[in-house]
Amino acid sequence: MKLKNKNIIRSGGRLVLTAAVFLFLVSFVSFGAGKSSPVEAGRVYGGQQMRTVVIDPGHGGIETGAKGKSGTMEKDVTLAVALKLKARIESSMSYEVVLTRDRDIDVPIEMRAAIANNNKADVFVSIHANGSKRETASGSETFFMSLNATDEETRRLAYLENRGSEIKDSMATSSEDELEMILWDMAQTAFIKQSSRLAEMIQAELNGLLGTRNRGIKQAPFKVLCGVAAPAVLVEVAFISNPEEEKKLTSDRFQEGIASAIYNGLSRFLRLYE
Amino acid sequence: MEMEKEATKSKSAKWWVIGILTVLLIFLVVLFFTGGEKIKRFAEQNLPQPEGQVSEEAESKTVTLFLLSASDDLLHKEKRQIISGPSVEDEAGRVLSELIRGSEENMISPLPQRTQVRQVYVTKEGIAYADFSRALVEDFAYGSSAELSAVYAIVNSLAYNFKAIKKVVILVEGGEKDTLGGHVDLSRPLSPNYRLVAE
Repeated sequence: MKLKNKNIIRSGGRLVLTAAVFLFLVSFVSFGAGKSSPVEAGRVYGGQQMRTVVIDPGHGGIETGAKGKSGTMEKDVTLAVALKLKARIESSMSYEVVLTRDRDIDVPIEMRAAIANNNKADVFVSIHANGSKRETASGSETFFMSLNATDEETRRLAYLENRGSEIKDSMATSSEDELEMILWDMAQTAFIKQSSRLAEMIQAELNGLLGTRNRGIKQAPFKVLCGVAAPAVLVEVAFISNPEEEKKLTSDRFQEGIASAIYNGLSRFLRLYE
Repeated sequence: MEMEKEATKSKSAKWWVIGILTVLLIFLVVLFFTGGEKIKRFAEQNLPQPEGQVSEEAESKTVTLFLLSASDDLLHKEKRQIISGPSVEDEAGRVLSELIRGSEENMISPLPQRTQVRQVYVTKEGIAYADFSRALVEDFAYGSSAELSAVYAIVNSLAYNFKAIKKVVILVEGGEKDTLGGHVDLSRPLSPNYRLVAE
C-alpha cells in the first residue's frame, strides 16, 4: 500500500515536472514573440517619393579590405568613388545623400546598417572593389542579400503557417534568437525584389558604361546588407588583386566612370518610384 | 519480507535516479534557453566518448575537398584520403587541415597557409563549430570573392562529407567573428552553397 502511494506521488510528481517544462517552453515562446517588435517590414513604395540615398564606402581605418600588388587598398578606392557619387547625385537630383563614412575611419558593419536605418534610407548602396586569390580574376558584379534561400524560406513558411496551438511545437526547438531572425528575414524579403531590380540596373551600367567584364548579379549573405531596412545592394567594381584592374581603380577617370555607372543605375531605379 | 524490502529499495533508488535526471534535464533546458550554450557544449564535450571505435583508427577514407581553381572563380572538387575515425569531429578536423594544406592538382587553397584548425565540434542539431587560429583572418586581406571562396570552401567541405553536419559556424580563436574580412556574415550558421562549385 505504501509502495502504491509512493508511486502515485511519484507519477504525480512526474506530471508536475512535465507540465513545468512545458509551461517553461511556452512562456519563452510568448516572451520572445512579445519582445521583438517586428521591424517595419512593409514600407510601401508605390507612388511614394524616395528622399534619402545612403552610400557606404566599404571598409576603412584598420580594416583595409582587399589589397593590390602595388599597394592599393580597397578602403581608399571605395571612399574616393563614394565621394564622387555623392557629388554627382547632389548636383543633379533632389535627394539627400548620407555617407556611412566620409574619411578613413573604422565604422563597424552593424553601424553602417544603423546609419542607413536611422536616416530612413530609401535605398542603400555599398561600394567595394573585389579581390581574389586568383590574380587573373577580373570584372564587376552586383550583390544583393541572400537569405540562404532554401531553408530560410522553409522556416519562414513554417512560421507563418504555425499559428495558435501549433506554434509551441515548432518553437520548442528554436530559441528566442531564432525568432528574431525569422522576423528580420520577413522584413528583408519585403525588399529583396527591389534590391534585385536595383542590382540589375546598376550592373547593366557597369557593363555598358564602364565596360568591365560582366560577372552578373548575385546573392550572398553579406553582413552589411543584413540589417538594412531598404532596398540594398553591394557593388564590387573590378579586382584590386588583378594588376591591370588595380591600376585602373586608382585612376581618377576610372573612378568617375564607376560613379557615373552607379549613378545611372540608381537614377533609373529611383525614377520607378517618382 | 527482507527480499521485498530489497526490491523496494532498488526500485526507490531507480526513481531517485529518474528524479535526478529530470532535474538535470530541466537545468540543461534552462541553460539552453538562457544563453548557456557554451556551458552545455562544454558539458557535452566532456562526456566520455564511446569506446571500441579506436581499432578503426588506422583505416583511411576518401573525402572531397572544395578548392579554388586557377582558371575560373569556382570551387572545384578534389578527392583526398584521410585517416578515418574515431569521431566525426576528428575527421572534420582532418578535412579542414587538408583544405589548408592545399591542392595536389594545381588548385588554390582559399585559406591562408599558416591557418591551424583548433577544434571542430558538432551539435546534435547538425551544426558544426569549426574553430581556427587567428591566421585565418590576419594573414589575408580578403576581397569579396576571396572571402566567399574561403567561407564556402570550409562550409561545403564539411557539409558535403559528413551527413551529421548540416550547417557550419566559423570561429576564430574560440570566439565568434562578424566576418573574415568585412563581407560574408558569420554570425549565423551557414548552409553549403553549391552554386559556387563547378559542375
